[in-house]
Amino acid sequence: MNGTMTATGTAAVTLQVALVAAGAPLLAGLMRQVRALLEGRAGPGVTQPFRDLRKLLRKEAVTPAGTGSAFRLGPLVLVATTAVVAALVPLASTATPVSGSADLILVVALLGLGTVALALAGLDTGTAFGGMGASREMTVAALVEPTILLAVFALSIPAGSTNLSAIVSGGIHDPVRLASPAGLLSTAALAVAVLAETGRLPVDNPATHLELTMVHEAMVLEYAGPDLALVELGSQMRLTVLLGLLASLSAPWGIATTASPAALVLALVLLALKVALLGAALAAAEVFWAKLRLFRVPELLAGSFLLALLAVTASYFLTGE
Amino acid sequence: MTHATTALLLTAPIVVPLATSAAYAASGLRDAKARAAGAAALGHRTPRQRGAAAPVATLVLRPGHGPATYGTTPAETADGPSYGGPGARAWPGTRPGGSPGGPGTGSDGIAGPDTGPGAPAWSRGRPAAPAGTGTGAGPAGRARPGRGPRTGAPGPVPRPLTGRLGLVSPAAILTCGAALACTVPDSGPVTAYGRLLRADALTVWMLLTVGAVACLACAANPAHLAHERTDEPAARRYHLLVHAFLAAMSAAVLAANLGVLWVAIEATTIVTAFLVGHRRTRASVEAAWKYVVICSAGIALAFLGTVLLYYAARQAGIPEAYALDWQTLAARADRLDPSVTRLATGLVVLGFGAKAGLAPLHAWLPDAHSQAPAPVSALMSGVLLSVAFAGLLRYKVIADAALGAGFTRTLLAGVAVVTLALAAALLLAQRDCKRMLAYSSMEHMSLIALGTAAGSPLALSAVLLHMAGHGLAKTVAFCASGHIARLCGTTRIGRIRGLLAHSPCLGTAFAAAVVALLGLPPFGLFASELGIARAGFLSGPRWALAAALVLMLAAFAALAARTARMLLGPPPGEDDEAEPVPLGADAGAPLVAGLAACAALGVTTGPLTRLLSEAGEIIGGH
Amino acid sequence: MTDSVYTQLLDLACGAFLLAAVVVLWLRQLSSIVRVFALQGVALAAVAALLGLHEDRLGLLAVAAGIGLLRAGALPRLMLRALTTGTPHRSHPHYQEDVSETRETQPLVNVAASLLSAALLTLLAYAVSRPLVELNPTPATRALPVGLAVVLIGFFTLVTRRRALAQMVGFLLLDNGITVTAFLAASGVPLIVELGVSFDVLLAVLVLQILTTRMRAAFGGTGIDDLRELRD
Repeated sequence: MNGTMTATGTAAVTLQVALVAAGAPLLAGLMRQVRALLEGRAGPGVTQPFRDLRKLLRKEAVTPAGTGSAFRLGPLVLVATTAVVAALVPLASTATPVSGSADLILVVALLGLGTVALALAGLDTGTAFGGMGASREMTVAALVEPTILLAVFALSIPAGSTNLSAIVSGGIHDPVRLASPAGLLSTAALAVAVLAETGRLPVDNPATHLELTMVHEAMVLEYAGPDLALVELGSQMRLTVLLGLLASLSAPWGIATTASPAALVLALVLLALKVALLGAALAAAEVFWAKLRLFRVPELLAGSFLLALLAVTASYFLTGE
Repeated sequence: MTHATTALLLTAPIVVPLATSAAYAASGLRDAKARAAGAAALGHRTPRQRGAAAPVATLVLRPGHGPATYGTTPAETADGPSYGGPGARAWPGTRPGGSPGGPGTGSDGIAGPDTGPGAPAWSRGRPAAPAGTGTGAGPAGRARPGRGPRTGAPGPVPRPLTGRLGLVSPAAILTCGAALACTVPDSGPVTAYGRLLRADALTVWMLLTVGAVACLACAANPAHLAHERTDEPAARRYHLLVHAFLAAMSAAVLAANLGVLWVAIEATTIVTAFLVGHRRTRASVEAAWKYVVICSAGIALAFLGTVLLYYAARQAGIPEAYALDWQTLAARADRLDPSVTRLATGLVVLGFGAKAGLAPLHAWLPDAHSQAPAPVSALMSGVLLSVAFAGLLRYKVIADAALGAGFTRTLLAGVAVVTLALAAALLLAQRDCKRMLAYSSMEHMSLIALGTAAGSPLALSAVLLHMAGHGLAKTVAFCASGHIARLCGTTRIGRIRGLLAHSPCLGTAFAAAVVALLGLPPFGLFASELGIARAGFLSGPRWALAAALVLMLAAFAALAARTARMLLGPPPGEDDEAEPVPLGADAGAPLVAGLAACAALGVTTGPLTRLLSEAGEIIGGH
Repeated sequence: MTDSVYTQLLDLACGAFLLAAVVVLWLRQLSSIVRVFALQGVALAAVAALLGLHEDRLGLLAVAAGIGLLRAGALPRLMLRALTTGTPHRSHPHYQEDVSETRETQPLVNVAASLLSAALLTLLAYAVSRPLVELNPTPATRALPVGLAVVLIGFFTLVTRRRALAQMVGFLLLDNGITVTAFLAASGVPLIVELGVSFDVLLAVLVLQILTTRMRAAFGGTGIDDLRELRD
């Protein structure tokens, strides 16, 4: 019994990471395709990001003169941290060997580590755009991290633990929590934070290469070849993981809470569906949004921080004892 | 006293001003019709205008102001709701003459006199007779005793009603106050309408103060409007609002229910907003905006306090109908939850403090008082502040019983010292005459708050005496400042010189009012300030009193120096006129009456002594 | 209605009520601010109606309907009128959109800082209302901090916003907060007081609307910063 449990749990973790790593380019392709269709273009197809990655990986690795280890390690750290987060977060199953370590604070710290690694890499190039991008990225990150922490913290109050698995399984067993003001507010705050963290509209335009408005792209402007492929994959995986986390927290139905393989398969399918849906919805929304001017971004993030804080207070003073 | 008489006495101070207000509104409607009818009405009105214009014209007749300025203006005041309302003769002290057996149609209001010899109660009957039937055909026998026809008036033309009608409601308030003053100290508090209205000694004292000050201010109204060159609808709106204002203040004083008290006090804000913005200049619009926003928001905090008190009362097991009843709350205050009551009291002090001109929400006061027409400034400064503070006193009784006296004492003493410091600092740098008086009001309100903080019976009686004395003296000062503003064309202290030489009567009146405000004998404020200081050093927060005395010295010096500058010296235009400008009897009478009353209060409280001490006991706690 | 559903709905209504106050701070367009204020009025009426259903008091339902009409209907309409009176209509040949008139462009405290202040104010309200909740902990009184938070946010809006209309909304937020406090604490004040208060609020808004029109006539705009005639 214990053996099967561990085996299924391990399988769940492996499958989760594999699904995220393989699905991330697909998700990016899907979102671009939705956008293209809505804008009346034919679009390159869902698998285009795969082809891009393959093309980049075949190229020769080039690093700018004068860059150090930070530049070379940045993409690796980004992908590695994201993969660890993908393993920890209860996307498909709450009963995994690592679910005991799936602590909220650890997850946020890992995400922050990836951001910092990339920002350092951007600074390492010594170019104006790299520095500018890094500075903007850190400004946004400084506002986003506390919001994510607070939002998930609000969800953790009814569960009595900051362990993400406990929060998610609590949500499955007591769906009323999710419709409470605290649950709704923290979901809204988390959604805004995810948009900012993954560099989507209205905080950052992932499709732009106009220097003055870039945030994320400015930072990785100097990358080429396999390094660029890693950076792209890392960003796509972050988007996938965060959308998956959002889906797990706000609509946890279908996530396996036991070690049954059938439940796990169902959970993986549902996860893919949920994330695809969220991604499509986001892409559709992006068609109608304009990018905020940079100095309005703190307003948006302060707003989402406030929502998260209200969620925390609400979970104390409304239903809390 | 029968139940009906009680009900009448408690209702009249609210209903009569309301009815008067309605009369002005109705006259507006009637007038619109008349205008549509054509020139007949116009011709009918013309001789009266002149009759009204003459008495108030004295001040304008000087070089610089063309005599033509008032040629048409008094028409508005003249064209009041009509002329001959029976029962419009109502001076303080006299009973309303009435139409015996007038068409008693059952509309609420008053007209005919009660025939009982001892109790000057108002009988219920036709209100504002002028409003309903005033077609100008009523018996015009309303010649004021001792005042003949004016200079320039073509024959004994009856004066337009406006002036007299304006005095009906203050007289009603004063008369009801007097009637209650005869009975309440002996037979205890009375209630009416299922404990909606209630009169105890404190109510009666406040009612008398409101009535007296309102009489002075309303007597000064016609002269003021005549000189302001107000057009007809504006004048009518002015009267309408003034009387609604009086009704709201009476309601605030008489309310037994703390919620109703709040509603009435908020109503005073709404009603006076357009009075402050009466002139529609940039400055007055600004003052009105600040006034409404700050006062409404401040007083909303008081409502929050009231709501919390209601919550505490409901939790203490008091049924819904009585949970805001002041008497019930005061009697059962010991059962209220202390921490909730503490929060509620803090909010109420902040909220009613805003309306009473206490820090930190006092910013509206100098603006509103300086921009409002002088009689309205007088009413606002003289009684509105005190009425709001009287509301605060009601809450203090409850808070003291629930929390012990220490909490409100510290709170009020702190607020008082801060307010006094602000007022003294701004008085020192003041350059505008009306703003100076406004800051002096803040100074006096903080003294009142300090006396309340002291809390001994002596202090509380002194506080009530101070309210009345300040009301009278400040009314005289504001009304005089209105005349000064017209005489000199400015309210800037730097541009006013030699008032005593320029217009001796006016100068003397203003000087006397300021002397009263400075707290010098023989005026009532001397006695009350002495009482507050003595009581404070005996019982109260000595630190606050010591600080207050130092600050008062600064305020005293500032007020005295600025007034001296305005009063003394040669008049500005030295060559052309050596002849001093006389103050018309119409304009002068309220000033003299106010000063006399204030001085009388300083010498003795006479028959009111018992009322005063009982009112002091009420707020001293049970 | 079971107790848990009642609690859940009450919490949702209170959450929406608080959220509306926050969104008012967040927005710049004055007409959107007024619309959000109207939504808050709906949430307030919902709170009153829920309490009425829970306590089986028909009177409270009637009060709820009245409050909904006043605060989600009449007051927003009056304010929108204050926004448009005195300015030429869109179809007017001289129409020229004055951005500074229709938007809160320069608040005393910028929007991000306002939102953070609102967060602090909410925490303050929570701290202050502890004794209130402890006196009688029920689902309704547990939501009392929401009322106090909206009162504080309303006061903050009143102090920091520099457009006449935004100040009006601040005052009304304050008032909404007090009303919801009354409902949550004691199922509303007695009817006569409630009527008086509603009437006073309606008149106050009317007065402010007329003063706004006068201000536009006298100053050429509704910026509070233009009001600097009177100062010491």
